Amino acid sequence: MNKLLKLSRVNLSYNTDNNLINVLQDVSFEVDYTETISIVGESGSGKTSLIMLIGGLEKASSGKIQFKEFEISNLKEDQISEIRRKNIGIVFQSYYLIPNYTALENVSLTLEINKMQNPEQKAKEILDRFGLDQRLNNLPSQLSGGEQQRVAIARSIAMKPQLILADEPTGNLDSENSHLISKILFDYVNEEKASLIIVTHDNNLANQTKRKIIIKDGRIG
Amino acid sequence: MVELDNLANFKLYFKYALRDLSRSYSKILSIIVTLFISLFILSSILTVEDSLETELNNNSRLLLGGDIEIDYNRVEGNLKLVNEVKEFSTVSQMVEFSTMISTINKDNNKSSFTRVKSVDENYPLYGKVIFEPEDALDKLNKINNTILVNENIFKNLNLELNDTVKVQDKEFKVVGFVKSVPDIGGAFVFGDFALTGKKTIDTLNLRTLGSFLNYEYKARFNKSLSILEGSQKVEQLFKNEKRATIMYPGNSAGGLRRIIDNFSQFLSLVSISAMLIAGIGIANTLLSFINQKNSSIAIQKAIGIFSGNIKIIYYIQLAILLIIISVFSYGLSFFLLPFVDKFISEGLGLSIKAEFSLINYIKIFLVGLLVIGIFSIPTVNSIDQIKASSLFRNIFQSLQFRYSKFSIILSIILLILLISLFSFGYSRPIYSLFYFASFFFCLMVFFFLSRLTILFLKKNNSNFGIPLKVAIKNITQSKSITPITVMSLGLGITLLLTLAFVGSNFKREIAKSIPELAPDYFFLGIQKDQKYQFQKIIYNFDQKSKIEVVPMVSAKLAKINGVDPNTYIDQTNDSHWVIGNDRRVSWSESIPKDNPLVEGEWWNLTKPNQLQISLDSKVAKDFGIKLGDTFTLNIYGREIEGKVINFRLVDYRDLSINFAMLLNPQFAQTIPHEYLSTVKFDKKDNFKEIDFLNQFPSISIIKISDYLSKVTDVLNKVFIAVVIISTITVIIGLVVISSAIIVQGKIKIFQNLVFKILGFSKKEIIFSSIIEFIINFTSIILFSTLFAVIASKYVIENIFQLQWQFDFALFICVSLGAGLVTLLLIILTNLKYLSPKAYPLIRNE
Ligand SMILES: Nc1ncnc2c1ncn2[C@@H]1O[C@H](COP(=O)(O)OP(=O)(O)OP(=O)(O)O)[C@@H](O)[C@H]1O
Ligand SMILES: [Mg+2]
Repeated sequence: MNKLLKLSRVNLSYNTDNNLINVLQDVSFEVDYTETISIVGESGSGKTSLIMLIGGLEKASSGKIQFKEFEISNLKEDQISEIRRKNIGIVFQSYYLIPNYTALENVSLTLEINKMQNPEQKAKEILDRFGLDQRLNNLPSQLSGGEQQRVAIARSIAMKPQLILADEPTGNLDSENSHLISKILFDYVNEEKASLIIVTHDNNLANQTKRKIIIKDGRIG
Repeated sequence: MVELDNLANFKLYFKYALRDLSRSYSKILSIIVTLFISLFILSSILTVEDSLETELNNNSRLLLGGDIEIDYNRVEGNLKLVNEVKEFSTVSQMVEFSTMISTINKDNNKSSFTRVKSVDENYPLYGKVIFEPEDALDKLNKINNTILVNENIFKNLNLELNDTVKVQDKEFKVVGFVKSVPDIGGAFVFGDFALTGKKTIDTLNLRTLGSFLNYEYKARFNKSLSILEGSQKVEQLFKNEKRATIMYPGNSAGGLRRIIDNFSQFLSLVSISAMLIAGIGIANTLLSFINQKNSSIAIQKAIGIFSGNIKIIYYIQLAILLIIISVFSYGLSFFLLPFVDKFISEGLGLSIKAEFSLINYIKIFLVGLLVIGIFSIPTVNSIDQIKASSLFRNIFQSLQFRYSKFSIILSIILLILLISLFSFGYSRPIYSLFYFASFFFCLMVFFFLSRLTILFLKKNNSNFGIPLKVAIKNITQSKSITPITVMSLGLGITLLLTLAFVGSNFKREIAKSIPELAPDYFFLGIQKDQKYQFQKIIYNFDQKSKIEVVPMVSAKLAKINGVDPNTYIDQTNDSHWVIGNDRRVSWSESIPKDNPLVEGEWWNLTKPNQLQISLDSKVAKDFGIKLGDTFTLNIYGREIEGKVINFRLVDYRDLSINFAMLLNPQFAQTIPHEYLSTVKFDKKDNFKEIDFLNQFPSISIIKISDYLSKVTDVLNKVFIAVVIISTITVIIGLVVISSAIIVQGKIKIFQNLVFKILGFSKKEIIFSSIIEFIINFTSIILFSTLFAVIASKYVIENIFQLQWQFDFALFICVSLGAGLVTLLLIILTNLKYLSPKAYPLIRNE
């Protein structure tokens, strides 16, 4: 069966002050194409760590992570970058826009890096769709939190990635904005037949996904 | 480094670089400022040097006064040959001699030692004589016994137009004054001069002028003849004329060239010091710049841009900056030229024009590129440390310089390139290499000094008052600006102190030598039959005067070991003067008491009929002469061979009678000669120049104090220029420090805020930063002074061979001045972090 993502017996541990901290232990699961998954668990249980491993931003201590036909755990940093920029969109809790780039520039950056035609035009279309047509040339510091997160999502979906990773995307927002953000994310996944892995404390949001993975002390329960 | 995929990629990164730069240049303002200042000095030095060189080259014919010059020294030339030269050229005949000019109808008559040039109607063959009034030059050859003195004599002797002056025992009418003459290549560069018509030669008794006489024939070839053909023709004609020396435009102004070369070598070393200090600041500011961009870089990485490509974006930004700044500073250096020109044309009568030189621009760009390369590689490499995963954790660790093996090797290679560029472009690379070695040694010491201070204070942080405790905490904290302060200020102050010490010692030694060492007067051109009478008259003026009289003859070093002496020495060498022209040589029975023998034996008395030569040991070293080498001297057209049999240590500074070459008296006495005398009077006022000249109109008087005050004048100007330029290194150091403080700003704001919450007063915070400064500055001054003392002592004692003394007053002035300015700057920069408005900033972060 063709899976989008496959984790098998993945371990992650940190070595601090001669103390071995096992953050993730024997984590195995699979993600289908177009599947939506939420990851829930207590603070410190390892949710963020798991997302980082999947996005190739951290290296597993052991185990295998397979994304499409690529064995991520074996690749070099630049090779993973190459895969990530075409296939994976990441949304952070704290938005993380480039502070001295305008909303439009933040979004078109991804498109330009991937050598798309008319990056500005495409970026503008997405932002328009997200209700930001009046905010194109504002810097992040001139945008509200919800607006910033919409720009951040626009940036992450600009390349039409197969997978979106979101780490508490609504964590800093009020319920109204949270609603808007989750709608945008699920609309995208449905339209583009993409997959979504979302870490959240928000039960409403978690219940919208097809599957829920509960993580406790670094293990999937 | 990752290779660029293609041009499109590069265009993209270039766009990002440009965008980044245009939006955040204010954060790297200190890089822009320091880079600009240091490149601007370098540009100015190169531009001025280049224009001077071009001027000298373009005008070498002007400086020589013709396409070729035939020199006969003290004898009139072979006019038959000269007339043959006239067949294919225009010849200007002239005689140059040194003499006294004195006023006769003033209340207070004065005299002046002057180099007189008697010229004919053809003078000048090239260039222009600048004079007043309009018809003055015309009158010289139309009216007998007329003279044009230079502006300086005109002023000093209180002359007016048509005044009468005395030259030897003849009266001359002053018909105007000269501002400049084109042919300054020879002795005319410094000192006073005058022009007279060619009839003067018949009027005056030139034969009594002895060796300070020069018959010259300058020629400008007819248009149909090329310079080369003309020169060959002249050479052919004068092939067998041993008394004549032929001079070419290329030889003109050799001394001037040497001065320019040395001076610009020195100045460019100072400017590269400024650049290197700027480099320290560049590395620091760039690191903080990248630190501020920490999250942006993490985002770029998360989006999938390679680390290598992000680095390229930063390198492109630096390159853009460098191109703009280097073009700008090179362009701006041209605006400085008119000022330098004014300064130079007053002194030398040269006028320099700015000329664009691609090579110079490339050189400036290259220097900037190398310095930026050396200091930015470890900084930009720190981008590798930034992880995209930190975006999930909200924590951005501050970056460190990153020295990979590769980047260390690359930096060293760039450094070697930089040093070579500044060493081998000049005539004496060894000085530059030595300078660089000392520079980096000092840099290392200051670096370790800062580490040591931090380490020491960390261990001794016991029971002090609160401000002191805060000060110590500031110094020892992990992002402390102590290392950068100590290094940049330390190097700047070391350089400034060294040059100040060298300058003050130099000036003091010269001023001091007037009363103690030197005689009061030189008397030139005393003939054999005047020797006895001369001494008698001097004693008449002052019974207790000390008179030294030595024989003297002009000789030209024609060959060394049978070959042209020019093959032994480079034009830019210090000792090249020995073969430039006729030199005065003397002789002595015994070893002169202030000229100790360093090698060989004094005269071999068993060979009285053979010429033996005693040589200045420094000259011997510069020429590579060994004992037993053969010199061929041309004395009044006669070539005599002699052996060098000993070397003496000659100290020209004492202004007594010193000669590079001495001959054995048994042989030399047979040569027609004259005398040179120095006199030290017991009471200087007893001597009356005008009375003396009435009795010995042909003897020239040089008053040492006048001569020395001229030298000190020039030295003062040079000293001021040098101090200004070295102050720039301190200024750059200050910019570096203040940028380091600004870099530290956010920590400072936070810190001060906490202090404020804890109930700390503004005063106490300022007080603690003063203490911090005093701790740092004390150690800086200690080491800077130590280095400056060693370096200036070395320069004064070994290069100038003068006595070195610690100048306490100067030391206090320089260190206190630099200290106060730095302190002021530190307080001013810190002041803006003291305001409580810092709250919003904290919330934003
Ligand atoms: N670099 C590190 N070194 C040591 N331990 C780490 C490191 N990064 C994370 N940890 C530890 O790993 C565990 C999991 O962290 P993680 O950020 O994945 O938790 P989380 O489930 O996302 O928590 P939260 O809901 O609070 O965001 C934590 O106990 C954390 O202390
Ligand atoms: Mg988390």
